[in-house]
Amino acid sequence: MSAAPSLPAIRACFEGAIPAMMATCAEDGTPNVAYISQVYYVDERHVALSFQFFNKTRQNILVNPHGAVLVMDPVTAAFYRLQMRYLRTETEGPLFEGMKAQLAGIASYSGMAGVFRLLGSDVYEVETIERLEGECLPAPPRPGLLAGVRRAAERQAACGATDELLQAALAALNDHLDIRHAMVLMLDAAAQRLYTVASCGYATSGVGSEIEMGHGVIGMAARERTPVRISHMTNAAAYSHAVRCSLRESQPDLALETEIPFPGLAEPHSQLAVPILSTGRLLGVLFVESAQDMRFGFEDEDALVAIAGHLGAALNLLHTAAEPAAPEEPAESSAPSASGAPLAVRHYLANNSVFVGDSYLIKGVAGAILGKLLREHTRQGRSDFTNRELRLDPALRLPDLSDNLEARLVLLQRRLAENCTNIRIEKTGRGRFRLRLERPIALEEIPS
Amino acid sequence: MNHNPVFPVFPVFPVFPVFPARPSSPHLFMTAQAPLLSPEHIAMIDKGVSAIVASRNAANRPSLMRAVGAGISADGTEITVYLSRSQSRQLLQDVAATGHVAVVFSEPLSHRTVQVKAKAAQLRAADDSDLPLLRRYLASMEREVACVGFDAVFVRAMLACRLEDTVAIRFAPSQAFDQTPGPRAGSALPAS
Repeated sequence: MSAAPSLPAIRACFEGAIPAMMATCAEDGTPNVAYISQVYYVDERHVALSFQFFNKTRQNILVNPHGAVLVMDPVTAAFYRLQMRYLRTETEGPLFEGMKAQLAGIASYSGMAGVFRLLGSDVYEVETIERLEGECLPAPPRPGLLAGVRRAAERQAACGATDELLQAALAALNDHLDIRHAMVLMLDAAAQRLYTVASCGYATSGVGSEIEMGHGVIGMAARERTPVRISHMTNAAAYSHAVRCSLRESQPDLALETEIPFPGLAEPHSQLAVPILSTGRLLGVLFVESAQDMRFGFEDEDALVAIAGHLGAALNLLHTAAEPAAPEEPAESSAPSASGAPLAVRHYLANNSVFVGDSYLIKGVAGAILGKLLREHTRQGRSDFTNRELRLDPALRLPDLSDNLEARLVLLQRRLAENCTNIRIEKTGRGRFRLRLERPIALEEIPS
Repeated sequence: MNHNPVFPVFPVFPVFPVFPARPSSPHLFMTAQAPLLSPEHIAMIDKGVSAIVASRNAANRPSLMRAVGAGISADGTEITVYLSRSQSRQLLQDVAATGHVAVVFSEPLSHRTVQVKAKAAQLRAADDSDLPLLRRYLASMEREVACVGFDAVFVRAMLACRLEDTVAIRFAPSQAFDQTPGPRAGSALPAS
């Protein structure tokens, strides 16, 4: 007989692809068997199960703490049976928040936010793990994730500008981790929203699109500062759908949220959102997805967390380095000559939305920046600007220093490149950039 | 007591108590003959869906395993589930010793779920006469599990069991519960 497997060795079974089953026993000796929504790996000796409803399983373990859980490897079809003992229920803290985010991520995509919620994390000590006899399928060889993380670290470390860094991070995911669809979203702390600043693998970049904090997989990862991973999208959606039907019958008045429009794949089967943190602060979210089921396992999550760590540190460094810029007035270069018919640009001061001709371009902080640049160009003929003056301009009402101004500029630069090639922003040095106009601008500022 | 492991015939199982709910609606009172399982539940189990079997030992420690086959009589009063002996030694020992069994049936795609319980389950070795049912179950599971993204090769590995290693557990369900995920999960059947 082979040695009993360890809990870390069977982490693949807790991915949720195949629901786990749990048997418990009531005080009077009546057994009960039920599906478990979530088996969460805690550490080498513990797992946590989601407590969502006060059901028979829950009643039983409170009087008889012994449970038997059947799990299955979603690739090899190997069965494992775990004998476990209920220890405690956690209703706050990192474990609870991690499970809650994962569960809420599942729920929000199907309009179940607020209904399909975690009441507690039931922590169990795993006493024995038994690998059952059976016909197993071969496990395909695993890609070398650590080598991919190394290459991503090297490429990010070589970057000297925010835009370059973001592109390097996404290219590394594509080239070394075989991840085809990815985005970086940055936090707008004042608005409590995340805005897409870079993406790869989509028909349209989606740069500038926004997601509310706490909304969907990305918003949850940001709010709870924990990775959120869904490995089997159809399964998760179907699970929530079953609850919705049941709820609709029992509580017809309950207003369910509409499905969240997501600026990514139409039918993602695997999604993983990892918070980008640096110096204890949330900077944004690194998000990857795939049309394939179970594309991102716990090892991919480990890799993405490491890469997001590098990305966060580098974003922070570049942002800080660009801030104290240039005490001296930057050398004024001759403004390039713009020719042709003037381009009508409207700047609505109420929300800083900017329209070029009839097309919406940008709003918010990036819109305010563009408004300032165009105004000063029109009135004073200036083309060269610094991050520092943007930061110091009270009229812009920029968020505090922790807000990544470099990322705002990257966003603006991208939106212009994608929608209005007559207006360009080019970096000219650390903390400096230039406004380039191919056509003269007729700027109209519309007061609030 | 019904705990005799070699109980020779199915007992006349206790009728589920009259529902105290909704006393103002006498027409909804359950009669003693009300079947536990609705025709929809019977059809679902008959079709061949995921089935997990549980029992417990004398110390109330639970045991469980996935069934490799399942069948139900047309009137829903008799259910047979099949287990691989080599995968279910403790469970089979517990069923033999206590007669207690709980089985949860679930349709993978819809997650429609029902649990049945009995206190006088009987064991026997499966034989050739069980083969048509086992084959039908496997074919149904290949279709059902394909709906949630697993191919037939996976399902055949999951349910692989030689006939000589297969044990049948037969029981008359005495309790049934709706266990479709959601706040109503766990409510006793027949529903009022």
